[in-house]
Amino acid sequence: MTAGVRIWARRYSALMRNAWMVDLQYRASIVLWIMWGVMEPAIALGIWWSIAGQGAVGGYTRTDFARYFFALTLINQLTIAWDSWYLDRWIREGDLNFKLPRPVHPVHEAIADNIAYKARSATVLLVIWTVVSLVWPVVRLPFDLKTIAITAAAVILAAMLRFLISFTTGLLAFWTTRATSIMELHAGISLFLAGRIAPLSLLPPVVAGIASWLWFPYMLAFPVDVLTKATTGHAILLGFRGQVIWIAIWLVLCRTAWKAGIKRYGAAGG
Amino acid sequence: MRVLGALWKLNAAEELQYRANFVASFASTCFYLLTALLTLSLFFRHATSLGGWDFWEVVVLLGVFNALSGLVEAILRPGIGDLAAQVRSGNLDLVLSRPVDAQVFVTFRHIDIWRLADILLGLGVSTYALEHLGHFPNAIQIFAFFVTLVAAALVVYAIWVTLMSLAFWFVSVENIATLFDAVFEGARYPVSAYPTALRFLFFYLLPVAWTTTIPASALTGRLSLPTALASAGVGLGALVFSRLLWRAAIRRYTGASS
Repeated sequence: MTAGVRIWARRYSALMRNAWMVDLQYRASIVLWIMWGVMEPAIALGIWWSIAGQGAVGGYTRTDFARYFFALTLINQLTIAWDSWYLDRWIREGDLNFKLPRPVHPVHEAIADNIAYKARSATVLLVIWTVVSLVWPVVRLPFDLKTIAITAAAVILAAMLRFLISFTTGLLAFWTTRATSIMELHAGISLFLAGRIAPLSLLPPVVAGIASWLWFPYMLAFPVDVLTKATTGHAILLGFRGQVIWIAIWLVLCRTAWKAGIKRYGAAGG
Repeated sequence: MRVLGALWKLNAAEELQYRANFVASFASTCFYLLTALLTLSLFFRHATSLGGWDFWEVVVLLGVFNALSGLVEAILRPGIGDLAAQVRSGNLDLVLSRPVDAQVFVTFRHIDIWRLADILLGLGVSTYALEHLGHFPNAIQIFAFFVTLVAAALVVYAIWVTLMSLAFWFVSVENIATLFDAVFEGARYPVSAYPTALRFLFFYLLPVAWTTTIPASALTGRLSLPTALASAGVGLGALVFSRLLWRAAIRRYTGASS
């Protein structure tokens, strides 16, 4: 048992060191991606800020909107997964061939990449948030260890969920050349159902109802609501339950897609 | 001009082979417009106007936005957007040694003809929204619209030239176009809908948002003559600026390789 743990710890530290070094070469690119990730919530916040000028919107004041979108920006960066784009390229251009014979399953490389990328970009955003909160007190969140601990758990689960979705969608490249289009479609839907454009409680009730039956709120809206304390008490437990259920479902989908895809891939190559 | 004509013919023949791409690109634009409209209706669920513009007026603006981004996708991204890669690989040498104007050549080298449909789609959306407003622009307003739209396109072009010229100074700016994409998103809504701080960023640091607000104002009859003239002036200024910047950049490029 302990030997197994030690081997995996060594493997992961190697993979993550590698990912960190690779990212280091693309510092400018990463800053640009972060900016891109920041602009969308900044624009949404700008519009809501103006709308809320006449008074609270559905219980959200200007301050609430500011906190919501700052939390959203950070948590989005912590949970975002680009894997469907990478996998699509690996599969189409054959890079996967070099990854398959390695002693470690390619998924571990993807996971290590994600951890390294998120550690870097989230640090940048946390620094930005701290600096902004010095001059703009509206976005200061009360420091509360319990909330932070619960948020951390929700963020880790959300990151797992988004990773599985992204990875599974990327695997569709075994069958179609438009896997990334499917991911774009998913991103378009998540604008509304995951709470990227507005807190879920501001959506028409029917749409919010549909969202609650799907995985979208657990990707982003739930951890954001935990951090901003819009979700409290029993609802937090329900949220965790939803996250775990959807992670299990996507894990099964992902494994099925991987097995079927690899079989097909091997057949095409041989 | 003849050179460009020949290039485009080749280009069109090439693209026509991939008709499935048309369906895909058209579908993705429609989906994009749909999400934009849904976002708008979400905002308007909680507000009666955005910065003084009512729903259909913002839809007119959205159409203009779609037309402009069609222009970006069809011409700028495949053309000048590829400049950084050209500088890095050294292919730019081949362009510079040709007896044509390098800036014009690089700009119009490759046209993604399918994305030109986005321009028509955008103008269609604007027309539909105008019908809903019950506002039919007169000849002067339509003329002003086209003048300001051309000016807007020139401003967008100048921004691209500026971003891409950075490639001559820093080689690793591969995805610098992302910066444009990020800021251009802000042009989906009228300038007046933003709080002052964001307005400052979009409209003075990177004058992107004006590019949709002004032509859309021309259509909805909000545009004043001084603004129209100013925007035409800014458009011309942007063209001159992009030319000067290009020259400086090319001087720098030849300097570096010799």
